[in-house]
Amino acid sequence: MSNATDLELKIAEILIRETRLEDATAETFDPDVDLIEEVGLDSMDLTTVVLVLQDEFKIQIPEDEYPKLTTVRKIAAYVQAQLRT
Amino acid sequence: MRGQASAAQRTAETVAGPAIFGELLGDPAVRERWERVRRWFFLRESTYDMTRRCNIRCEGCYFYHGDKQNVEDCTDPEAWHTLMRAEKARGITFAVLAGAEPALVPELLRVCGEHIPLGAIATNGLRRIPEDVPYRIHISVWGNDATSERYRSAKRMLDRQCEQYADDDRAVFVYTFTRENCAESREVVEQLARRRCKVTFNVFSSPVGYSGPCRHDAASLLETRRTMLELLDAYPETVLFSAYSAVAHTHSLGLHELFGCSYPRMNPSTALGLGRSFRQYRANLAFDRGAACCVPDTDCPDCRHYAAGSAVVTARLHRHAANANTFWAWLDYVNVYLAVWVRGYEPFSPLLSEPTAPPGRGLF
Repeated sequence: MSNATDLELKIAEILIRETRLEDATAETFDPDVDLIEEVGLDSMDLTTVVLVLQDEFKIQIPEDEYPKLTTVRKIAAYVQAQLRT
Repeated sequence: MRGQASAAQRTAETVAGPAIFGELLGDPAVRERWERVRRWFFLRESTYDMTRRCNIRCEGCYFYHGDKQNVEDCTDPEAWHTLMRAEKARGITFAVLAGAEPALVPELLRVCGEHIPLGAIATNGLRRIPEDVPYRIHISVWGNDATSERYRSAKRMLDRQCEQYADDDRAVFVYTFTRENCAESREVVEQLARRRCKVTFNVFSSPVGYSGPCRHDAASLLETRRTMLELLDAYPETVLFSAYSAVAHTHSLGLHELFGCSYPRMNPSTALGLGRSFRQYRANLAFDRGAACCVPDTDCPDCRHYAAGSAVVTARLHRHAANANTFWAWLDYVNVYLAVWVRGYEPFSPLLSEPTAPPGRGLF
C-alpha cells in the first residue's frame, strides 16, 4: 500500500473484512482504487462498511454521503473531518 | 414457526435510539440471520420484456399501458445470447423475465438462464415453462376463479395454474390484492395450501392514468393488511411474507415516499446500486434509463408492488439499522424477498410476529 496513513490502513482492514475481499490485505490495498468501478462493491457492501465505520469511529455517516465514499482515501478524509467536528 | 422468541426478541422493546451496529448483531440468533442474508448482497438485477405477446388480457395489466407494447419482438436467439453475455459482463447477476407472457418464448428463457443462472419469471401460469429453465417462477393470481374470469377472461384460472405448477419447486404463486378481492384471498390461499404450493402477496399498484376498480383506497389497504396478517398466521408453511412486509406494502404512503425508490426512473443518481446498474429492456432489446423500473408505467406515488419493495426496502439497510425493531423487521423482510425470488434460498423463522412501523413513520 502506497502512502497509506494509519487511518487508511484501519479503514482498508474493515473494508476487506466486511466485504470478504479475497487476496487483499490492508497493507497492499491501494487507497486510491475506486471501490465501485474497480473493486466491484455496490450499495449493500458500502452500507455494511459504513455501519461498521460508524461503530468503530463513533461518528454518523448519512446515507446521502455514500456517493462520496468511493476510495479508502476519500473515506479516511471524510472520517477525519467528522472526528474533528 | 412464526414469532419464535430469541433472547434478542425478548429485549427488543428495551432497545431504543440510534443503535451500535455491532450490538444489533450481538445476539447469535440475529447474527445468524444477518450472515444468511448478506451472502446474497452480490445480486444485481435487470429486467427483460421477453415478448409483446400474451395469451390473455387482464384488467390493469402493466404491460399494455405505455409504449413498451408497441415495439417489435426480438426473436433471434443469437441476439439474446449477445445481450445476456453483455449483461453478465457488466455485472448483472439476476435476471427478471417479464412482459408480456414469457412462457410463450421458452427458447429465449433458456438463453437467459444459460448466461445468468439466477433469476425469476413473471407468468400467468397457464403454460408450463420447461424444467430446464432454472429460474423462480412467479404465477400471478388475481382472485378466485370468478374474479379471474371477470378481470382476465380466463376460466378455471387457479385450477389450471395448479395443474401446471403445483408440483414444481420453482413456483411461487403471487396473490395480488386489489380493492375488490380481499375477502376471496382466504379461499385461494386455502386451496394453495391444500396443494402444498407457496404463495406471496402483491398489492395492486395502478398504472399511470388507471382509475378502475382495482385501484386501492385507504380502507382497502387496511383491510388488505389485516387479511395478509391473518393468512400469514393461519398458513405459515404456505405464505412467504412477514409482518413488516404487510406494513411496507399497505402503508398509506407508497414505497417511494416511505423509502425513496432506488430504480432509475425515480433516482437520477448513477453512482451506486440500482441507479447505476439497473436496466429494463423492452422486447426489442432497447432500454431507456428514464423509464427504467421493475414495473414500468406504474403510477409511482401508488406503487406498492412486491417487486419494487424487494429492492427498495432491502436497499434501505442503513435507516433500518437505527434500532433493533426496525433492523429485525428489515431482516424478516429480506428473508422473504430472498425466499420469493431466489431458488435455493432457505428462509429462517422470522424475528417479529407483530407489525413494525417503517423508520421515521407511523404504522399506517
